[in-house]
Amino acid sequence: MIQAELSRRAFLRSSGAAMKASCITLTFPMVLTACSRANETRLNGGDFATLSAVEAREYDAIAARIIPTDETPGAREAGAVYFIDNVIADAFERQRQTLRLGLADLQANTAALYDTALFADLTSVQQDSLLTQIEETEFFATIRFLVIAAMFSLPEYGGNKDELGWQLIGFEDRHVWTQPYGFYDADHLAKGE
Amino acid sequence: MAQQQTSVTYPTREAVDFVIVGSGAAGGVMAKELSGAGFSVVVLEQGPHLKAGDFRHDEWSYDYNGGLIWGSKQGHPQTFRKSATDTAKPAEAALGYAHNVGGSSVHFSGNFWRLRPIDFKEASVRGTIAGTNFADWPISYEELEPYYTKVDWEIGVSGLQGPWDPPRSQDYPCKPMPIKGSDVLLERAGKKLGLNPYPAPVAILSEPHNGRPACIHCGFCNGFGCEVNAKSSSMATMIPLALASGHCELRTGCTVSRVTTGADGKADEVVYWDAEGNEFAQRTKAVVLCANGAETPRLLLLSASDQHPQGLGNSSGFVGQNLMFNGYTSVVGLFPQPVNAYKSIPATRVIHDFYELNPSLGFYGGGGIDGRHYARGTPLNSALMSGMFGGPKWGADYKKDLEQEFTHTAAFDGHTTSLPLATNTVTLDPTLKDKWGRPALRCTYMDHPDDLATMKFFFDKTGELMEAAGAIRQAGSYPKNGQEGNVHLLGTCRMGNDPASSVVDKYHRSHDVSNLFICDGSSLVTSGRGQPTMTIMALAFRAADHMIQSARRGEI
Repeated sequence: MIQAELSRRAFLRSSGAAMKASCITLTFPMVLTACSRANETRLNGGDFATLSAVEAREYDAIAARIIPTDETPGAREAGAVYFIDNVIADAFERQRQTLRLGLADLQANTAALYDTALFADLTSVQQDSLLTQIEETEFFATIRFLVIAAMFSLPEYGGNKDELGWQLIGFEDRHVWTQPYGFYDADHLAKGE
Repeated sequence: MAQQQTSVTYPTREAVDFVIVGSGAAGGVMAKELSGAGFSVVVLEQGPHLKAGDFRHDEWSYDYNGGLIWGSKQGHPQTFRKSATDTAKPAEAALGYAHNVGGSSVHFSGNFWRLRPIDFKEASVRGTIAGTNFADWPISYEELEPYYTKVDWEIGVSGLQGPWDPPRSQDYPCKPMPIKGSDVLLERAGKKLGLNPYPAPVAILSEPHNGRPACIHCGFCNGFGCEVNAKSSSMATMIPLALASGHCELRTGCTVSRVTTGADGKADEVVYWDAEGNEFAQRTKAVVLCANGAETPRLLLLSASDQHPQGLGNSSGFVGQNLMFNGYTSVVGLFPQPVNAYKSIPATRVIHDFYELNPSLGFYGGGGIDGRHYARGTPLNSALMSGMFGGPKWGADYKKDLEQEFTHTAAFDGHTTSLPLATNTVTLDPTLKDKWGRPALRCTYMDHPDDLATMKFFFDKTGELMEAAGAIRQAGSYPKNGQEGNVHLLGTCRMGNDPASSVVDKYHRSHDVSNLFICDGSSLVTSGRGQPTMTIMALAFRAADHMIQSARRGEI
């Protein structure tokens, strides 16, 4: 029995479609021109291109709740915030504003409930509770999209450091594969079907 | 200037024999055939000439930054609406196609089904359907078969003839592709249910052919260009031969604005901008439009003149009408062992037992089923969908789902018929303009109730197959409320014998303009069951054959 309704995203075959809920869908950031910057930033331990130190810390904290670190590395170790820094550098004002205002709201919610105005200072339980409240917002959809895009795009765009994202899902970026590709075709071959 | 691709150059102020607009599945075949027959040919292509060495496993570029399919960022906005009573809203690539030499044959999945004899005469056999333009084709399967076989051998197709397949005059040139785990699951489930799964025909080489190498199973077919030229695109197969003929000039980065006609009513010039925006007009003895089922009707509508007030070649009013997308469904199953459907080509088995649904069901339709990866094997798209079996969309449990769903799932997809409707159209948007100042493409589309019923049938059937395959969990969907875009752009300048209800004759010649030919997805009279590229290429070989004979007799 088909238990779950798949997201419409399953079927959208044209570009950009998976970003529908995020503000990125409206105008695509020109990250292609800036792709190498994140790696440079990381290598130099230098400043972010766009984010302030506080913003970087906040986005990093959010990323670490979207794909958390447990027995295996998460979005933090994969350097998602560097990818985000890159994208924002080339985003349009309207997109930056969505992120800026969304973060400001999140910080306001933080300050209203706790003794700090910084989301990154909270415990993970407190952070999850605040993020759950804003799950349906364009800000959250955007930051979620960016964290996942960071984690699973080519490492040269700044996230997915050491292919940590790909390792997580079991994707190996090879050019040549030969049978068997997995368990079932190996079994098929073994049984001579 | 146009980026020069070839040593032969033709002056714009002297008429060449043929100008071909578009270099995709049909345009590439036309270019190769016409230039190979010794005619002077200019091909105008709006995109760049990307080649195997240019392509990468770069999902972020191709899927999210318009690397192959241009959108509003590149100055090509579109609009979409479900009904003519709605105001169309901006929509990214609702009419999706690739902007490069080879067109969408470069990034397509490679699935390469022939139509069957029934497809050409279904309205006679099955009966017409009130409120639709469902009709027979002006040609039969038997007339097209030699050209299907020509496609098989000229570009390279892999497959295995089954007893239920349409008859063929020659075997496939290449053996079938090796089976994937997702298709082992489909094959076993199909057999359990008494169905007949068999190797999927694909325009991807399983062994070397015509000097090109076999597929190395990297997995980046659908949405990507092949990095070793194993995918039998127009770019990899036809364009090199056209350029080698010494009679074909390929001008890339050139966007056609209109086709003009002379005092005799015949097409005489094709007007275009080069990449820098300089306007040129190429004189020609004949024009061949192969710009796809969206851009071909737009160009005809943009070429309206005093002589052709409704648009060039549009005395029937059928230009832009009868747009057909094909329907689609998908059910994803979770399995205990690694499937790794992300490796190798999209689909290696197909089930065609439901090609024609029983009329007693109360609706018209049919289609095919194949096994795939749920998100084309792409890591980012896959991760965005994770949690598909009801899990959360972020956090520790989302991460657990990420760890298994990419590798331990198979998708069974349905590919189905669409009925031709006067109300499903490609038209000119009344307000939105593209970067050249031309009215943007406006798509109006709502699936016919029979098309939705057909999708429901295939959705349920693939669910049963998934159950039989032993999936632990299932998730799935189909566009119940109607599709809002697709990459199959069919029917908008249909072939037919009656000038009142078709745009071109059975040889793809415009009923209105004797030296204007139209051949691409727009030519299809009915939708087939979901994989149109093989038929588009076969039609192009057939049309070119007749055009060459006509030209030699001085009848163009």
